[in-house]
Amino acid sequence: MSDMTEPATITRPLISSKRHKSIRKNSRRIYSPYQDENGPSDDEDKDGERVDSNDPEELFQNIQLQKEIIANIRTKPWPIRRKLKVLKQAREIVLKFEGRLTRTRGYQAAGADLLKKISRVLYNVVVLFIPWEMRIKKIESHFGSGVASYFIFLRWLFGINIVLTILTGAFIVLPELLAGAPFGTIRSKTIPKEHLSSAQDLDTIWSLGGYLQYSVLFYGYYGNVRKIGSAGYRLPLAYFLVGMAVFAYSFITLLRKMAKNSRMSLAGASDENFTFCWRVFCAWDYLIGNPEAAESKGAAIINSIREAIVEEQEKKKDTSLAVLISLRILANILVLLSLAGSIYIIYFVVDRSQKLEQEKPELTLWEKNEVSVVVSLITMIAPSAFELVSQLEMYHPRTSLRFQLARVLVLYLGNLYSLIIALLDKVNIMSSAIPVAPGNVSSTSYLATISQPTEDNLSTIVPDITERQNSTLTMTLLDLNNSVTTIKSTASYGQPMRMQSLLNQTVIYEYNTRSQQDPCWETYVGQEMLKLSIIDMIFTVASILLIDFIRGLVVRYLSDCCCWDLESKFPEYGEFKIAENVLHLIYNQGMIWMGAFFSPCLPAFNVLKLIGLMYLRSWAVLTCNVPHQQVFRASRSNNFYLAMLLFMLFLCMLPTIFAIVRYRPSQYCGPFSGQEKIYDIISETFANDFPLWFSKVMSYVTSPVVVLPALLLLFMLIYYLQSIARSLKVTNSQLRLQLQSERTDDKKKVFKLAAGRLQAPEGADKKPEQESDITSMESSARSTSPTRPNGSVVNFESPVRHGNSIRTITQSASRADVSRAAGAARSPGAPVRQKHKAEHVPNRHSGYLGGSGSSCRSKSYHHMAYNPSTRYAESIHSDPLFRKTLRPMHTEPGVIMAQSYAGRRAHTTRYVIVNEHEARKKMRSTVRLPRHYRLADEPAEIVELYPRNVKRYIPRTPHRSHQPHLSEEEEEEEEEDPKSSTRRGSIRQSQRPRSLSDLHQSARFYIGDTVDSQVSMEQGLYGDEEDDDQDEDWVNDSAHLCSQTNIPESTCRYGEPHVKSKSKHKVEPSLTESDSASLASSSDQQNSSTDQYIQIIHNKEKYLKPGTKLTKKKSKNSVKLNVSASNDLVCSNV
Amino acid sequence: MGNKQTIFTDEQLDAYQDCTFFTRKEILRLHGRYHELAPHLVPMDYTNDPDVKVPLALIVNMPELKENPFRNRIVESFSEDGQGNLSFNDFVDMFSVLSEMAPRELKAIYAFKIYDFNVDNYICKEDLEKTLNRLTKEELTPEEVNLVCEKAIEEADLDGDNKLSFADFENMISRAPDFLSTFHIRI
Repeated sequence: MSDMTEPATITRPLISSKRHKSIRKNSRRIYSPYQDENGPSDDEDKDGERVDSNDPEELFQNIQLQKEIIANIRTKPWPIRRKLKVLKQAREIVLKFEGRLTRTRGYQAAGADLLKKISRVLYNVVVLFIPWEMRIKKIESHFGSGVASYFIFLRWLFGINIVLTILTGAFIVLPELLAGAPFGTIRSKTIPKEHLSSAQDLDTIWSLGGYLQYSVLFYGYYGNVRKIGSAGYRLPLAYFLVGMAVFAYSFITLLRKMAKNSRMSLAGASDENFTFCWRVFCAWDYLIGNPEAAESKGAAIINSIREAIVEEQEKKKDTSLAVLISLRILANILVLLSLAGSIYIIYFVVDRSQKLEQEKPELTLWEKNEVSVVVSLITMIAPSAFELVSQLEMYHPRTSLRFQLARVLVLYLGNLYSLIIALLDKVNIMSSAIPVAPGNVSSTSYLATISQPTEDNLSTIVPDITERQNSTLTMTLLDLNNSVTTIKSTASYGQPMRMQSLLNQTVIYEYNTRSQQDPCWETYVGQEMLKLSIIDMIFTVASILLIDFIRGLVVRYLSDCCCWDLESKFPEYGEFKIAENVLHLIYNQGMIWMGAFFSPCLPAFNVLKLIGLMYLRSWAVLTCNVPHQQVFRASRSNNFYLAMLLFMLFLCMLPTIFAIVRYRPSQYCGPFSGQEKIYDIISETFANDFPLWFSKVMSYVTSPVVVLPALLLLFMLIYYLQSIARSLKVTNSQLRLQLQSERTDDKKKVFKLAAGRLQAPEGADKKPEQESDITSMESSARSTSPTRPNGSVVNFESPVRHGNSIRTITQSASRADVSRAAGAARSPGAPVRQKHKAEHVPNRHSGYLGGSGSSCRSKSYHHMAYNPSTRYAESIHSDPLFRKTLRPMHTEPGVIMAQSYAGRRAHTTRYVIVNEHEARKKMRSTVRLPRHYRLADEPAEIVELYPRNVKRYIPRTPHRSHQPHLSEEEEEEEEEDPKSSTRRGSIRQSQRPRSLSDLHQSARFYIGDTVDSQVSMEQGLYGDEEDDDQDEDWVNDSAHLCSQTNIPESTCRYGEPHVKSKSKHKVEPSLTESDSASLASSSDQQNSSTDQYIQIIHNKEKYLKPGTKLTKKKSKNSVKLNVSASNDLVCSNV
Repeated sequence: MGNKQTIFTDEQLDAYQDCTFFTRKEILRLHGRYHELAPHLVPMDYTNDPDVKVPLALIVNMPELKENPFRNRIVESFSEDGQGNLSFNDFVDMFSVLSEMAPRELKAIYAFKIYDFNVDNYICKEDLEKTLNRLTKEELTPEEVNLVCEKAIEEADLDGDNKLSFADFENMISRAPDFLSTFHIRI
């Protein structure tokens, strides 16, 4: 709004364009649901002042906008206080400025206002008349929307029936009652004399005979006078039109409702499935307000979620398929048999009743109601039988419910159809007696003949034949050729009558009519349908009382005196079976549609029935039912019921239409008596009551010339629409595909981003760590460094023994070590070696100490660090022993491993080492990103690398360690490359935590290693960073290989954190070997310790060799790495 | 139309009818319900817009809400202060949104608010976990809850941020077959 007003002051041409824009803006603002929390209210505040311009267009737009706001305000997600405020302002503006507009506009506005007010009042009033609102609400709050949907559906059907009742009542029944010939004046409206005596008997009334038969209830009562009353009401025409209107109205309302529903639920078009989301976000039924219902709903939700989980986990469940399939086949056969049986029974019963009627003058109550009772029984019992059968099939509950529904629907349809077909069959026979009439020259004579009692007797057939000949003779005499042919074709009934009629032309017409019993088949059908409806109602009531109420009573009051729990085991409380009850409603409605044409009061009766059902059902539900376990989801937004209803409507309309088109209406009763076909009433009306031109036009329109092209056009239209729908579907699916692909793309991108982010922060984190480490390292280095120059031994020992201090130092040492080592290395090349030897010994001790003082782990950093240092020394030693041959390969992988670790963690690695147990996890996570960190890691990386290497190599080392022949091993080691020694050292590290023996091994290695390490350290000192980088790279490459081979075992066996932490990712494979080694080492621990010493000594001697080898063979970098790695390894061992 | 004019003026009733999906009768009934909650607090005469708020604890005990696992969230989402104290206006608004007539979009917005426990405008995993735990009264194992949460997010998350924005939520909920019928309180 604010935008709008501004342009008004500006030049004119701008105004319009800006106005449009602003309007668009405003509208956008109005409709954007979520974001514009604050915008509008402010704008509205300004609006009041700003709308001052006198430009009528402007004003008009403004007012329109305000009105729009008023109209849509209720759909906006603002807090209501603001809504009220905005509304008030908008109203004020409208009021204030509307008067300034032109007068016509003012009137228009006033008119619109008035209309709105009236409609609101009307709506308020109409709402008052929506029945059972509170009752349904109560049910909803007890059972949720599922059960309530049944009642809402019932209410909706009730509404439809009310309209149908009004239609038939107002246009057929009332006119007939008011203006039609009164009862008893016409033949068709009087009870035949022979029945008069029993016309008031209860059983006659019960079977809808007697007075009821000759009442407005049935088709037969309505007169065939074209115009009745002083106004000339065309009752027959009205009867026909209303009969059609009933169907038309039902169709239209049904389709409209369905269209509305499908518009409401977008779900119909898409097969997208948000299984879990829906189960979470749409699971709770907000209507539930009853604790029991809430409980059962909660249980149902849990079930459905579990179900979804199970389905997700195993999409397919395999049971013994053969058994299942055979069971299902059996079940289907059973169902088909019962369906066929029910159809046969109905047909049989109808047939029997027909025969009984013909043979017996007086029928018992049972015989009269046999048909409808049987039909109702079947409709009651069969669904339960189907349910039992469906248990055989072991379908998913949802599937079985669908099957059940389909079967019950088929059953109901089958019942109705077999009934109506049997009835029409009967009608066929009845009406066939009559059809002769029109062909005959004298219709009056027919009537006379009909009266004769011969009609019903089949026995007359025989005489007929003889009579026929006579008749033919007579007919020839009478020149009734046509009639003869017709007679032959007609059934036996007609013939005798005919003959007689021909013969007895003299019989008085009136006399005959009196004695005759009208074969009014329409009334008969109507009677049957009404009877069926009544019996159905009785059975429903009975079943509610028996199955629900009595059972509920029994369960409630007898559960105490029964040996099992009635409430939870056998009889339980009746469940409210929504689906079946809805189907029953549909079936009921189907009966109404089928019979409405023949019994105009059927809708009225149905209204009563529905009211009764409403109260009874709601009472029963509230008192003695429990909610169905498997709630069938078919609510208002779901077209399932409606689709079934539509199906039913269509199928129920068919027989009626068929009867109307196919059969000749009864001759002596009903509004269409005397016509060839029922629909002739239309053409007759056209012919008689419309001007000539109209009937001409109609004849053209109904001629094939018009009808065929129209049909063609329709087909074309349908085809066109269908193809459009198909193409839309295709584009729809394409769009969805696109959406999905974009979604996955997005996900990928996000993952990448996330990965990037992760790495970055880690790097950042590590930096500080590194720094701290560095500081610590420095400190440690300082402490150690002084010792080192003197003798590496000192350094190692001190940390080890001190435990805590050592720990701290060690971590830092990983880097510091390098520096120290480098420093140490520098100063004493050869002496260092010696020192190393000395160191080794202490180292081992320290290692042991550290191991023993595992409590130190918290401080583990340091311990670890020391150990690594010791270890690496060891590893170095070992490496030479083992790997002369292996060197290149092993070392590389080991390095790689280390690098990878280092990459991530240069600093972090230390952490890992420290916490090893805990760290493992971290390690894993960190492991992923190693390369990034490499540069930063430098020494730390190296350390880490070592552990990995160690693990890999361990397997070999352990063998040695196990072996008492240290000397031999050492020798071998010596032969081997220093690199290999480093690897071993790493392996040992992994082992270390486990046992001291590992340490021993490591010690050996150290000896060998020391030389290397020294060398490497020296190198590292000088060119650590550069070297590291390089090393890392190559290490990475090789590392993978190594890790794969060695790691796994070690992790498994040791289960120790250290090994795992580092090993897990890459190290694990190496561990396997190392594990074995470690085990051995552990067993040998004590011995090994001593051994180690010895070995160390040996190694010392050899150091030089391996060291030289190392330097030569591998780049200095690698050596450095090894050294640093050794430190790390030590840590890990701790 | 001419009954019970003492509670609201015609203007007020009209305004309420414009702002909500209720009829006059229902608004009056709502007032009755509101009055019942705290008879001593809520005046019968609302013509001068008294500023009265009923605390969450009282509202949550309404039979319509009592069994609802999200009752607190519902009330909080509709309260202006976010604490669950509802004025009559908020009260009417709440039931208006939850009424049968409210359009899906509006319901979706408030449903989102209700399920967004931590009010960060996203439904994240914690929100989902809370939702689930309330729904199932914590009868699912943590693994199951975890799985369901992950699955749910995976299904509905269009932009891949591992949480559900309103757009995701609306897209998902608009396709739910029975959201409209279940997210609905009849009063």
